[in-house]
Amino acid sequence: MRINEYTLKFVLLLILQVLIWNFCNFSQFLMLAFLPAMILFLPVRRSAVSCMIIAFVCGFAADFLVGAPLGLSSLALVCVAFCRRGIIYLTLGHEVFARAEDFSPARQGVSKTILSITLATALFLLIYISVDSAFTRPLWIDALKWALSLLLSTPLGYYCTHLLYTDNLRSSSKWR
Amino acid sequence: MLFSAAIFILLEVAALAMLRSSSTMQDIAINRASLRTSAALWGAGERFRYHFRAEKLNEQLAERNAELELALREYQLQEAKLREEQNSPYPKLRDNYSFISATIVKMSRNGAHNFIILNKGSEDGVTPQCGIITGEGVVGVVSAVGKHYSYGLTLMNPNLSISSRVGDSGVTAPLVWDGLSSNGAKLSDIAPHLSIEPGDTVRTSGFSTIFPAGIPIGTTGKTSHVDGSTIQVDVTLFQDFSNIHYVTIVRNLDRSEIEELEAAGENSSAR
Repeated sequence: MRINEYTLKFVLLLILQVLIWNFCNFSQFLMLAFLPAMILFLPVRRSAVSCMIIAFVCGFAADFLVGAPLGLSSLALVCVAFCRRGIIYLTLGHEVFARAEDFSPARQGVSKTILSITLATALFLLIYISVDSAFTRPLWIDALKWALSLLLSTPLGYYCTHLLYTDNLRSSSKWR
Repeated sequence: MLFSAAIFILLEVAALAMLRSSSTMQDIAINRASLRTSAALWGAGERFRYHFRAEKLNEQLAERNAELELALREYQLQEAKLREEQNSPYPKLRDNYSFISATIVKMSRNGAHNFIILNKGSEDGVTPQCGIITGEGVVGVVSAVGKHYSYGLTLMNPNLSISSRVGDSGVTAPLVWDGLSSNGAKLSDIAPHLSIEPGDTVRTSGFSTIFPAGIPIGTTGKTSHVDGSTIQVDVTLFQDFSNIHYVTIVRNLDRSEIEELEAAGENSSAR
């Protein structure tokens, strides 16, 4: 049941991401992306390979629905999925995988969660923006876009993670 | 982990392939990147191969250098012959030097009496009293010869004296190492009335049977009086002894004839 609920939330958030990329183009210097946070916080029991495949499919779906060059999001998201374990080890520690428990921003700590989302989003944006520009735009434009997008996408990613794992927080309150 | 990495590469390649077929701009960028990568890989491979070929290549270059020295010498002789023919009805010079390339096996640089061992010996045509030179200048003189190796004194040895000529003034004097630095020597026994300008090129005089005339040695520096009877000139050598691996051995083909003649002359004057 919980898996279905999680999947439903995940798909809805993916659709929301597509809608934002389609209709909320505020500026050429801004790209709001919470997909990397969603990929980063896929359930712990998922293997690295399945995470990469999910990232690839999500990226493909997003590109297809947005009308972006096919493969662009997949390229960046697969990288995030590949580095997922490393980022979590680095920011949240080994216990997350050792206990095989689901993520919970409240349990893992807000600052650590935000740090991990920042790293994943930074990696995603770095690849996405540089490949999107195909090294034809001046570096400062790409750098500015990367910095602004990272600044706004990180809290958005945190909020999405919060939405995805709200149920966990409630159910794990006894454990805490 | 290896399986994950393989899947990662596979998915990234698939994404790049899709990207390439769906967007011209990205296609161009990917093409450019792949060309750069392949060029870098080719370049690295070529450098790697060159690194292992370098030793053989150096030996070939040393051989070639000796051949060119010989050819140059022939041209110099031809030029000299032509000049002499213009001035005199009788040609006087003929080609009497051979050049043999060699590699330094051992060389001392920090002693008071420095020496050099070369990988060519009597079987290669080297005899005692052959000159040792490089493209930069004079290195030393062979003093003993084995079957496959030869031993010589370098210019950084006070026992070695080389007959030299200074630039346009044509002053000839023996050149000896100053015993202090690796690139310093002194021209001595020069009459005090002769003036030598600093910066003049010092070359071999050709008055000995060891070196042909005109091989560069160094440049003149400060002049100083010795005991009021002669002057001494500092010379900065062209040859850098710290960075030398290949040399050319110069052999005077007429040396034995000249020495026999000298001995006969000394005997007749003694009687």
